Amino acid sequence: MGTPRSSSVTMTPPTLEVQLGPLRLKNPILTASGTFGYGLEFADFVNLSTLGGLCTKGLSLRPHAGNVPPRICETPAGMLNAIGLQNVGVETFVEEKLPRLRALGATTIANVWGDTEEDYVTVVAALEDAEGIAAIELNISSPNVEKGGMLFGNSPPATASLVTRVRRATRRPLIVKLSPNAPDLVESARAARDSGADVLSLINTLVGLAIDAETARPRLSFGTGGLSGPAIKPIALRMVYQVARALPKVPLMGIGGISNLDDILEFLAAGASAVQVGTANFKEPGVSGRLVEELEAHCLSRGVTVASLVGRAHRFGDARDAGAEG
Amino acid sequence: MKSDHRAILEHRECFSPGLFSITFKAPELAAEVEPGQFAMLEIPERVRPYLRRAYSVADADPGRGTVEFLVKTVGPGTGALEELTDRSPVRLLAPLGNRFSIGDLTSDGAVAIVAGGIGAAPFPLLLRRLSAAKVESDLFLGARRALDLGFRNRFSGAAGARKTYLATEDGSLGEKAFVTEVFREAARKKRYQRVFACGPMPMFAALAAIVQELRIAAEFSTEAAMGCGFGVCLGCVIPGVQKPFIVSCTDGPILPPEKIAWARLGPRA
Repeated sequence: MGTPRSSSVTMTPPTLEVQLGPLRLKNPILTASGTFGYGLEFADFVNLSTLGGLCTKGLSLRPHAGNVPPRICETPAGMLNAIGLQNVGVETFVEEKLPRLRALGATTIANVWGDTEEDYVTVVAALEDAEGIAAIELNISSPNVEKGGMLFGNSPPATASLVTRVRRATRRPLIVKLSPNAPDLVESARAARDSGADVLSLINTLVGLAIDAETARPRLSFGTGGLSGPAIKPIALRMVYQVARALPKVPLMGIGGISNLDDILEFLAAGASAVQVGTANFKEPGVSGRLVEELEAHCLSRGVTVASLVGRAHRFGDARDAGAEG
Repeated sequence: MKSDHRAILEHRECFSPGLFSITFKAPELAAEVEPGQFAMLEIPERVRPYLRRAYSVADADPGRGTVEFLVKTVGPGTGALEELTDRSPVRLLAPLGNRFSIGDLTSDGAVAIVAGGIGAAPFPLLLRRLSAAKVESDLFLGARRALDLGFRNRFSGAAGARKTYLATEDGSLGEKAFVTEVFREAARKKRYQRVFACGPMPMFAALAAIVQELRIAAEFSTEAAMGCGFGVCLGCVIPGVQKPFIVSCTDGPILPPEKIAWARLGPRA
């Protein structure tokens, strides 16, 4: 191989390092919640210690069974899912998964959700003494549960109230994952920041619908589902750009259809300091590790740092409609 | 260990319109795969299908380093495979899932294999292994019509079944009956050690009742739409008896029917 590679954590050059508020990451490539299991499922394909971080499956207070099938279906350049946040619960995660993630050198970000504010606070409190969690990511944007989830994210006052309470429950860096389905994304972002979020991640899935042409029945048992994959990338990119423009000091993580190096460079240019790779993990389980290598080679060959690539699109002034809604 | 193999299309055989076999050169996988396991197949650079598709491994030849799949064209995923030209590269994430259990079978009694249509896909390799273990097998192949069983010669020969029963719903080949009925008749006269089955959900539901009635151990190769194939997306769940949902790709795809909550299966897309 002609390109320099990092074979261990300590050898990673500062070229890739990023700082998002209180959260320092060895590189800007993370994996998105719900697309990376508990990380351990990917150990055959990715050296987890080489990733900027991994966001766990959304953790709830108790184990959660999720929605009845069918839960997924393919759509043009993407997929719809209504998994319904099936997860092992925070206790099992801390006892069984987290020690193994620590042993593998993973930078673990615990994604958390609940039906009520109290649920969120209790889960975050249960994680507070656990060793090996780099940050908390609040899921206030899942479209696939009856209660909680997106309901918190779609109302700025509800976002503010929840984030305020969670902020008091943790000393860890707090990431709030925003909903693209919110009526006013910038207002949601502002509410989260003003209530104590250190970092904003965006976007979660867009609410979509698939219907079986033959039977006229919705293809997912939940009815609607969350759209992800390359199909949503332009929307995600616009939203990152828009929030970066409105709130230039808030560190952002870009999410939405990222599957190659150009996608990452585009999100960085739009104003994200880091990115999360999502649905692409299903298609190519080794994609996150491969992208770390590609980004490193790119930066070394150009003699640039990742930090210098953040927000470059904004020097061209406001993209025509990007600020219109904000 | 599962890994993402690059494989080259080496051979294809068309049985009838939309029913074909494709054989890839994938030596490591050929040496490793067990009966009942599957691969998530991707045709690189294709926008549609976006996600990989799951295919049971039909057969493997470690000597030649090849892996074969039996496919029926039903949608964009299988359609893209049908159009694949010789020497085309694909990626095979494999081997995935559990396997048919054959280690505890004895050569004293026979096993039955019941397949509905393209549900026959995983059985050439199983037949080969059963034959090597000197376990006698009877094969029950059923479908709507003769054309749907165009691959039946794939199941004869040295590593084939001792006896093959054919059944079609329109009577165009073999007995005019559901394959499950033909199996029930045979299983009343002959004590099978185990039944291995793969087919559509109505066939599974009928067969589950029969094996329960006749008290025969069974293993079904279940099918569900899979997003990833290795237990991450949780898209392929099946309602379970001991737990709410069985994850088809990692808990299965081979499942004993008594673990499946048939009543909760509901309408499927």
